[in-house]
Amino acid sequence: MKTFCLIALMAVTAGTAARAQSDTNAESQLLRVTDIHADGADFDGNGRTVTYHGNVRVSASDMKLTCALLIADLPQSGGHVSHIVAETNVVIDAMDSKGQTMHATSDKAVYIYNVQDGVTNETVTLTGNPQPQVENAQGTMVADVIVWDRANNGYRFTGNYHMISHQSFGVAPETNSPPATTNELAAPKANLPPGADTNFPPGKLDLVPEHHSEPPPPQTLQPKLPY
Amino acid sequence: MKMKWSSAILVLSVLTALFFSGARGLAQPSPASHARDFTSVEYFAPPLQRQMKSRLSGAEAQPLPGGLLVITQLKLETFTTNGSPQAIVEAPECVYDTQHNTANSAGHLRLRSGDGKIRTEGDGFLWRQDDSFLTISNHVHTVIETGPEMNTGL
Repeated sequence: MKTFCLIALMAVTAGTAARAQSDTNAESQLLRVTDIHADGADFDGNGRTVTYHGNVRVSASDMKLTCALLIADLPQSGGHVSHIVAETNVVIDAMDSKGQTMHATSDKAVYIYNVQDGVTNETVTLTGNPQPQVENAQGTMVADVIVWDRANNGYRFTGNYHMISHQSFGVAPETNSPPATTNELAAPKANLPPGADTNFPPGKLDLVPEHHSEPPPPQTLQPKLPY
Repeated sequence: MKMKWSSAILVLSVLTALFFSGARGLAQPSPASHARDFTSVEYFAPPLQRQMKSRLSGAEAQPLPGGLLVITQLKLETFTTNGSPQAIVEAPECVYDTQHNTANSAGHLRLRSGDGKIRTEGDGFLWRQDDSFLTISNHVHTVIETGPEMNTGL
């Protein structure tokens, strides 16, 4: 009976939507309660999708997410949801596997989960306008695209990367070591390159990263002609 | 044997009509007759024909013109082949359209898995059976309880 299949899938998927921000460590061994509130919802048994719309609020022990629209693909056999899209005014407050909090905002967030060759890939990609940003204990990071690698507990930034450090000038910042919550982003250096924007609030470092932003286009040297 | 909800309700309607005609002896069955405290059960195909697959029950079923059927205190239960509850759907009231295979209500809808760990409810719904599409219009709330024994990805 399609009715019953849909009901079962709907419930499983609705819950799994919250998985976008869940842990993959031993905490998952504990009982978890995930709440999803929304103004309305559509459950498409043929299209195998569930859509929550209007004031969507997802709450779990280690994560809160709000947005206007949340769409999740239904798994074929009640397995792991592999694709979730959250759109419009996406706000994520989560705790990573190291217990550090993060706050992220974006226009769109796409959760992808898959296992290839025994390796689990689990990412949340933040995009849209205004620029997505992630704030954690180290600072606020802004970029055109921010990929939160859940499986490896790190971030990747692409395009117009910008960071405002939470380190103050009065305290010797350990700017040569990577942020504790990121294992992929090379920590921006405190030595500002020439021309770096320094208009920032007192006590804040405004840094331009050396890595993980899109490289500038290659410059071609023109031969100097003798005339 | 693959009986859908509409089929179950049609069967229910037929049984209701038969019941009332039987109760009134030789009286003609009236299309306006209604049932109280009804239950309709569907069983799995052989060799599990003794196992309940679903059970539809309600406090009252009132036929209306145009092929509509008003059901109060609707409860729909499904079971796995080992007899354990799979899903439970409850609605204080809903209108089933036998011509368009839809069910709708402005009232509350509550769904839960057999073990009660996954629950969804809301106010106002439309179920389109032909394309398996359910819309819950207002105040949707889903609760998922997961533990190490569950594999929902949470």
